[in-house]
Amino acid sequence: MIKLLIVDDSSIMRRTIEKNLGHFNLDIVGTASTGVEALDIVRQKKPDIITLDITMPEMDGITCLENIMKIHPKAKVMIITALSDKLTGLQALDKGARGFLYKPVNAQSLTKAFDKLLKRTMPQ
Amino acid sequence: MIERRKEEFEATCKLFIDSVSNYFKVLTEINSEMGIPYLKDATEIKLKDYTGMIGISGNRKGFVYISAGKEMFEDLINIFIGIEEPSNADILDMAGEISNVVAGNVRANLGANFMISVPIVFKGRPEELKFPKDVSIYVIPLKWKIHEAFVVVGLE
Repeated sequence: MIKLLIVDDSSIMRRTIEKNLGHFNLDIVGTASTGVEALDIVRQKKPDIITLDITMPEMDGITCLENIMKIHPKAKVMIITALSDKLTGLQALDKGARGFLYKPVNAQSLTKAFDKLLKRTMPQ
Repeated sequence: MIERRKEEFEATCKLFIDSVSNYFKVLTEINSEMGIPYLKDATEIKLKDYTGMIGISGNRKGFVYISAGKEMFEDLINIFIGIEEPSNADILDMAGEISNVVAGNVRANLGANFMISVPIVFKGRPEELKFPKDVSIYVIPLKWKIHEAFVVVGLE
């Protein structure tokens, strides 16, 4: 089973992502509201896929992504952010993100992006 | 010069209007109606029950907030995660998330130097809430379903 970690400072967003990805065969190993919390879960649970917000208190998503790549370089990170400028997207991809999705996200856009990520990074 | 600044400010407000419209359309498939924006003084700013506010820094300075009645946020939460009676924390979270998405999406046009803070959320009108006096403030009325709200943009 694919292990998933959801990182977003919004509890509503975390639950929205969880709900909309429910039909994939996933083991949600944790949810985190800050980058610091996320790194703890990454160390302990080594998730296969991580959805990661960027605008968060304490540690922004880009810094968190850099740390995730040091701790667990095999993790496939999909950024889900409201920051819809090109530079942020390029920066995230440069730091190791494997997918990128702009908020607002609905069930269709999440499913499509997740499906694409799975096909690209975890071929059957 | 003043005319140019005014045009720039109105163009930025238009970006926020488009961003709000897109939010409701994409997530609820129900269009929102945006009213005619009007200028307000910092001392007479309107707030509804719950507010999510974003600080703006970088190449522009100011704030944007979305303020609405409890029922609008409850309705959105019900659509997103199916909870009919969300907690106070959920409603504040919803107010913060909508303001975050609306402000963040504006960066598609204004670029990464249009920097936004994490959301500041509050219920009612906190006593310590002070708006800067040197900003122009536009109030944009918003209606989604039966709910009325305000999008307020304040920029230097």
